[in-house]
Amino acid sequence: MRKVLVVEDDRETADQMAACLADGGYAVDLALDGNEALERGRSGDYAVITVDRLLPGIDGLQVVQHLRTKGVTTPALIISALGEVDDRVRGLRAGGDDYLVKPFALAEMLARVDALARRSGVVVKETLIRVADLEMDLLARRVKRGGADLDLLPREFQLLEYFMRNEGRVVSRAMLLANVWDVHFDPMTNIVDVYVGRLRRKVDAGDAPPLIHTVRGVGFCLRAPQ
Amino acid sequence: MLLSKTLRSSTFRLAILYVCLFGAGVAGLFGYVYWSTTKYVKHRYDSIIISERGEQLNIFAQSGREGLARALKSRSESIPVDSDVYLLADADYAPIAGNLKDWPLAAHAGDGWIEFAPPPDWQPNAKHRPLLRALLTTLPDGSHLLSGEDTHDMVAFARTINRGLAIGVLLFCLLAGGAGLSVTRRTVARIEAVNATSRAIMASGLGKRIPTRGTKDEWDQLAQNLNSMLERIEGLVRGIKEVSDNIAHDLRTPLMRMRGRLEVALRAQRNGLADEALIARTVTELDEVLKTFSSLLRISAVEARERTVGFGSVELGKLAAEVTDLFDAAAEERGIHLRCTVSSVPPVLGDRDLLFETLSNLIDNALKHGQSDIEVRVEPDGLTGVRLKVRDHGPGIPAAERKNVLQRFYRLERSRTTPGNGLGLSLVQAVAQLHGAELALVDAAPGLSVEIKFPALATAEARPGAAPVHAPQVAAELGAQATRPV
Repeated sequence: MRKVLVVEDDRETADQMAACLADGGYAVDLALDGNEALERGRSGDYAVITVDRLLPGIDGLQVVQHLRTKGVTTPALIISALGEVDDRVRGLRAGGDDYLVKPFALAEMLARVDALARRSGVVVKETLIRVADLEMDLLARRVKRGGADLDLLPREFQLLEYFMRNEGRVVSRAMLLANVWDVHFDPMTNIVDVYVGRLRRKVDAGDAPPLIHTVRGVGFCLRAPQ
Repeated sequence: MLLSKTLRSSTFRLAILYVCLFGAGVAGLFGYVYWSTTKYVKHRYDSIIISERGEQLNIFAQSGREGLARALKSRSESIPVDSDVYLLADADYAPIAGNLKDWPLAAHAGDGWIEFAPPPDWQPNAKHRPLLRALLTTLPDGSHLLSGEDTHDMVAFARTINRGLAIGVLLFCLLAGGAGLSVTRRTVARIEAVNATSRAIMASGLGKRIPTRGTKDEWDQLAQNLNSMLERIEGLVRGIKEVSDNIAHDLRTPLMRMRGRLEVALRAQRNGLADEALIARTVTELDEVLKTFSSLLRISAVEARERTVGFGSVELGKLAAEVTDLFDAAAEERGIHLRCTVSSVPPVLGDRDLLFETLSNLIDNALKHGQSDIEVRVEPDGLTGVRLKVRDHGPGIPAAERKNVLQRFYRLERSRTTPGNGLGLSLVQAVAQLHGAELALVDAAPGLSVEIKFPALATAEARPGAAPVHAPQVAAELGAQATRPV
């Protein structure tokens, strides 16, 4: 079972996060302050560490930096109340790990931990991705469903690729915006839904069993029919 | 009060030091002028005396003592008032001939130069008290010759120079001291104005400003800079106050509503389905409240951010194309034509993410409120500026309302039903200000045109690898991409 270290000084928030992660199939360790986080982070074998920035007496970013200098490469999900106007969060984004702005939906947090947990595993660079009868050829930039070619626009292709690479996992609207469009703010509008709707009309056309599903309150999920 | 401040002022001390140094210099210079002038005049007198004696020695050599005595006697008889002085005396200093009665006592020592005051009866008609300078010579026969000159003129000349110089130095010190004092007073007065304003601000509030005199000198510039600094601080403080007011007004209402709803539900009988619906609805509404809260904080964060921190060179044309691409599908779904036209423009200095968000906000607004075709334009503004324009063909904003829509939470009456929190344009304005850009809402009749004018990129960086963009080509590409049939 994969383990997640949750570093959060507010006990109730920490418990809520732990409960949500446990539902998502993770074993959870809690650290309530920076020292505990450093100790556990160094010793434990975690798939992901989530760190709140506002810890008593220390910035969560420093905890992560400290762990990095100790050779701990576990992906970190930084949780910040400061928003993306803060330049250090942008630096972090450039550095590869993920961040989440407080307040957040627990489901969104779980989706992001899922994404990071996968990143810590081995990433195979396939050229052909398959989900059920949906087939994507990354070299020829072609998509087939049940042997029939789908006519996708470049953006729709990228969107579908992201869905297929995260097969079976919930991806949030914010994650789609960040990874497909490189947009890092909440546009307060349903752009993503419109795109997913268009993609869905092309991928799940006709009588074929639907692959793209809406997950209420979070985002979407592409998965093979049961 | 002002005087004691003046005396304590560092400017005054500097002025005094300056006056002293310069005064010493001037005195030194004047001293040299005095010394060299008197030396020159004295030298002139001496050469006159020497040539006079030469003549007398000539006469002595040709016609002996008697001849010289005759010559001197005839001269003193023909020129009774003379500035020359001469006396021939025998070896015992008994006078023989000349215009001096007695051999001066001081001159018994031997040959050489002497200076002496003549007896009062020497040339009593003279208007001044003479001072004689003479050369003593012992003639070959042992008699003595005194040849000299009344040097009163020289002394008077030296005294005149002296007085002139002394007056000069005094005048200089007075003028310089006075100038120093007045400069200091002026400086102290202007510093005092700044101090007084600072004290007033500490005592009452940020509303005070330092008075300027309209002279455009460095003091006015300092006052203006301090004033604009105060302006900005006041703006930020006002912003913080507005945020808290906004939070109080606009966030309390939905929170109160939710609280009431939960309270009612708590007292009612448990009902699985109804409770679930109620919780779901409350979570959604809470999300809205939290979103509004984040937006508010974001606007303040942008407003308070230091300018140009994290700024880079941004190509607005490329950015506009990306944002248009992002909204393309949403526009298409509403049957709205979204077109982007980009002219060749220089890059602007800015924060790409914030600019992206700003343009998104504008297009989103146009989609929601314009309900008509939208045109995004990036074009040159003046010689070096860049203008970003988002224009719809909708109902527009009445002129009277245009200023209000920039305020936080302000929404037009007809927009109350569309989703949104009335913060979009506030953020746009904050971002524009951060970039030193000008935001204008222009009536496009029909429709609204929102224009942001960016200043020119101050430092024209050389950007290797950035090929010049040809406007028509870009426009054509974007046209093909962004204006697909609906």
